[in-house]
Amino acid sequence: MASDKKKGAAGTAGGFFKAIGNYFSDFGEAFAKGDAFVKLSALWMGAGYARRKQYVKALIMTILEIAVIVFTITFAMQYVPKFGTLGTVKMEKVFNMKTMKSEFNDYDNSFQILLFSLFSFVVWAASIVIWMKNIVNVYKLQKLEEAGEHINTFKEDLHSYIEEKFHITLLTLPVLGIVVFTAIPILLLIFVAFTNYDQQHMPPTELFTWTGFTNFLSLFGGGGLTTTFSYAFVRVLGWTLVWAFFATFTTYIGGILLSLLLNSKKTRWPKMWRTLFIITIAVPQFVSLLLVRNFFSNGGIVNTICANIGLTGFLRNIGLVSTSYIPFLSAPGWAHVMIILINIWIGVPYQMLIATGVLMNLPADQLESARVDGAKPFQIFRKITMPYMLFVTGPALITDFVKNINNFNVIYLLTQDVYTTTNQAMANSQAKEVDLLVTWLFRLTQDYYNYKMASAIGIIVFIICAVFTLVAFNRMIGNGKEEDYQ
Amino acid sequence: MKKMKDNRTSSVVMHNVLIGILAFIWLIPIVWLFCTSFSSYSGMNTSTFFPKEWSIVHYVKLFHPDTVAQFPQWFLNTFIIACVTCVVSTAFVLMVAYATSVMRFPMRKTLMNFAVILNLFPGMLAMIAVYFTLKSFNLTNSYAGLIMVYSGSAGLGYLIAKGFFDTVPRALCEAARIDGCSEARIFAQIVIPMSRPIIVYTVISSFLVPWMDFVYAKMILNAGVSSKYTVAIGLYKMLDKSLINSYFTMFCAGGVLVSVPISILFMIMQKFYVEGITGGAVKG
Amino acid sequence: MKLKKALAFTLAAATVMSSVALVNAEDETIKLTLWGAEEDQALLGELVEDFKAAYPDVTFDIQIGVESESTAKDTILTDVEAAADVYSFASDQIYDLVNAGALLNLEEYGEALTLAGKTLDDVKAANVAGSVEAATVDGSLYAFPRAADNGYFLFYDSSVISEEDVASWDSLLAAAEKAGKKVGMTLASGWYNASFFYGAGFTTDLNDDGTTAIDWNGTSAEGYTGVDVVKGMLSIAGSPSFMAVADGDMSNQLAAGGLCAAVSGTWDGITAQEAFGDGYAATKLPTFTVGDEQVQQASVAGYKFAGVNGYAENAGWAVLLADFITNEASQQKFFDERESGPSNNTIIESDAVKSNIAIAALAEQAEFGKTQKVGGKYWDPAQTFGELIAQGTLKADDDAGIQTALDTLVEGVTAPIE
Repeated sequence: MASDKKKGAAGTAGGFFKAIGNYFSDFGEAFAKGDAFVKLSALWMGAGYARRKQYVKALIMTILEIAVIVFTITFAMQYVPKFGTLGTVKMEKVFNMKTMKSEFNDYDNSFQILLFSLFSFVVWAASIVIWMKNIVNVYKLQKLEEAGEHINTFKEDLHSYIEEKFHITLLTLPVLGIVVFTAIPILLLIFVAFTNYDQQHMPPTELFTWTGFTNFLSLFGGGGLTTTFSYAFVRVLGWTLVWAFFATFTTYIGGILLSLLLNSKKTRWPKMWRTLFIITIAVPQFVSLLLVRNFFSNGGIVNTICANIGLTGFLRNIGLVSTSYIPFLSAPGWAHVMIILINIWIGVPYQMLIATGVLMNLPADQLESARVDGAKPFQIFRKITMPYMLFVTGPALITDFVKNINNFNVIYLLTQDVYTTTNQAMANSQAKEVDLLVTWLFRLTQDYYNYKMASAIGIIVFIICAVFTLVAFNRMIGNGKEEDYQ
Repeated sequence: MKKMKDNRTSSVVMHNVLIGILAFIWLIPIVWLFCTSFSSYSGMNTSTFFPKEWSIVHYVKLFHPDTVAQFPQWFLNTFIIACVTCVVSTAFVLMVAYATSVMRFPMRKTLMNFAVILNLFPGMLAMIAVYFTLKSFNLTNSYAGLIMVYSGSAGLGYLIAKGFFDTVPRALCEAARIDGCSEARIFAQIVIPMSRPIIVYTVISSFLVPWMDFVYAKMILNAGVSSKYTVAIGLYKMLDKSLINSYFTMFCAGGVLVSVPISILFMIMQKFYVEGITGGAVKG
Repeated sequence: MKLKKALAFTLAAATVMSSVALVNAEDETIKLTLWGAEEDQALLGELVEDFKAAYPDVTFDIQIGVESESTAKDTILTDVEAAADVYSFASDQIYDLVNAGALLNLEEYGEALTLAGKTLDDVKAANVAGSVEAATVDGSLYAFPRAADNGYFLFYDSSVISEEDVASWDSLLAAAEKAGKKVGMTLASGWYNASFFYGAGFTTDLNDDGTTAIDWNGTSAEGYTGVDVVKGMLSIAGSPSFMAVADGDMSNQLAAGGLCAAVSGTWDGITAQEAFGDGYAATKLPTFTVGDEQVQQASVAGYKFAGVNGYAENAGWAVLLADFITNEASQQKFFDERESGPSNNTIIESDAVKSNIAIAALAEQAEFGKTQKVGGKYWDPAQTFGELIAQGTLKADDDAGIQTALDTLVEGVTAPIE
């Protein structure tokens, strides 16, 4: 197994670099061996197509080329040259009594410079890839012509996008969306971790600039407040992992069990039961979780009831509670357990829905033969149901784990404004015992505008998660196991 | 034989009682929400489970907008956003899932690994960058911007759907290819109709996003114009410290009204969810 | 696709810019945006109409948005340029807002007020000194005071507690215990618990680099030690008839009926009135015991301001609008319609204001009110410190423990902004 895994990971990485290598050698070959028009394509991207009478394609490529040039001149050149300093001109303004307006100087906005420079880099990178691919393609056309073979008409080219190139059609828009709304923002914040972007350096009024590894050094370095910062970081990370583990597995197992329970032949009115459970998730989380928070608050109903039936007194007698109420969501320990329980309440119906769908697809012949062999229900569950579930939802389990690491809603809605830490060292770095890294980061950015530290912590978290996940991911879906059930 | 039958009856009862108990526990907070929304008192009641006085006055208030609560308008806004989001997101998810599951092309593994990597970053961190990206295209304070935020990265959530497509018998696709079907037709006419459960799952989850999100919506719709809010921020703002005491019951009433249509939708979809899976597919 | 979009955007932007430059003529419409609390929206609408009427020659397009005074800073600092031209905010946010360039230095824009026939000095003279001091940063005025009611005092039920009882915490708690009720105060908040330290002569201050100076772990100018103050707080918090209320939960607790007195502000006035009925009364905060002396509990003097965004396009008109919604007539309307406690000297002296129980109590406490100058690093450590006292984690007989906790508090609050 270990060697398999290694092969899987190495294979992926190797394949990736090999593909890049091939890409460049193809380009080199095409440019070297291509005729004049192929070479001209390096300047005028439509040249090769025009020569082979693919006029529509030639036109498209020409327009694209002009667009990139215009983009570079009118947009990118405003920002990219300032990328090295992130701007030097501070905002200044004077009041003009005649127009009743403020007159601003032409000031730099560090954040905008960073963001738009990144945009420009991405656009340029994409253009270069297209430009190289273009030359390779025109060279292919040249060879086809030399061999006297058929050259596709524009219509045939288009047709290929629902045939062998269908994946391009499918992936273009989603990937574009991901690049704009996830990849570039993340890239940007990786850069921010190497700047001094904090409340003292907030654009547009102030500038921020590159500071190298300072933030990482102060995160791990000793002395002063930074010790409490790393103190808080370790504790928050610990709880984040514990939470992610329990949140993921309790709801996963709970969902499967509930779905088996509901789909059992013994169940009367299965639809009604399922409906009742689903109502829980149909109520938006910010409504249901805020309600539950008030439900369990120190002066809330549950506490009133517990006090009335004497439970609070009993717990105080055995030393579990020191206050006049049960601190369901306001003391460490209690809050940790309650948060996981409440998450079960909100997460199990979801997993039940997924499990129901997947279990319906369970290979019926396997179940049948197991039953004929006289297997007990538990054995069937362990030997057939679970392995099948794990196969189908295994990758989702990993994503669920990562999602729970970044599960903002549950923690934020249940503890924000309610939970006050009594750990002074944590309070000094704006953390609480129940914080996940993501809620901590959120408050660092929202209340303290400490983007640089938030980003630095974000990167460290990412590195920890990435190593773990890529290994698990390759192990679970790599090595051709995909074909097993097909 | 007879003994076994007895055994079965009692176990059926036990089985259903167990489910009943679970359902009861699951519904307590929901029942509380429902009851509280019919309280005549506007603030939060912390002494009794059921309201002291019943009244529908807060539902009536919801439909008579004041400057704080413009519930009908919020509902409409959210509904429009949710519909568009759910169409776009579902399309994106299915497209990515199909391409990575059924098709084989160079860079497939690389792309999938990149998706995993991107999912590892705390999304909250990227929020500010997303906001300024939208702002530079003049899309803040617009529903188009919100829809883009909700559905733009939907493709990253393709793994569940991919897991499902992986179980679709490959022989079916092969047969269709031999019959001369294009890849697009295999996708649209063979795989998609067999995948109703996963489509429904995707539709549900993406439809719900705008109803639940209060973080992005609050950031993007930041002009403070109450009539442009989504239900989530509108209701969330009712719990502002200065408002909670006069709006808590209205918040509950709003919560109930939001949940009712969503629940109905859930039920309809759930039917498809269970039925869809059994019909159509060639087993084995 | 992306290229085209970016291109189209750039071209469109260029077109808009040039057309703006061309149109910039006499008859342009003055666009302004105004943010205020949800509950003030109707009144702001009226005031905006009055404002338009005051300048009949000018065409205005004024949009009113909702942003609560208590959260204004969070929204505005995220994107200063997108924030409203004129907005209301609570006085404790002023340092962060000035720091981020979100407020105009009114000294540089005071000229605009000539259109309203006044000067900035008139504004300063018209409002109580404390409010002007709180609106001043580095010697310059940055906001127009609108209300002086953002502070706290003592609500009590006079049918349970006598006027003599409210003089000190000891007698207050004793009276509450006799009646089987509780006295509520928020301890887990740096805004409330600073009142004990300020009362004993301790201070906080803001340094030029944005860090906070705090001396609570030492000895105050009046000769009290921080440890003694904490002991005084602990004896209050340890009383069986004291209830430590979570921040923001006070109205809830008042409505629940278990309290006979509460430290809170005008925002809970209506709830307190309903809860106490005919016994509804309010007064300054009581004294508390430090060492063996009685010390008057101070408070944080809070105000509500109207500020002008540093990035407002029509800055001059924005200054005029901000002044208009905070002038004497407007403050009178705020008092009449919203029961807002005015900062205007003339209105404060009026009989109507003096007979308002809550606002009168606030005025009584104003003498002991301090302007709280603290940076962003203050709040979390101070909140936790209050929670330590509320939960009884610190012990009154453990001087060393209290001193360590105070030292940790000071370390956290004075930390550099990293």
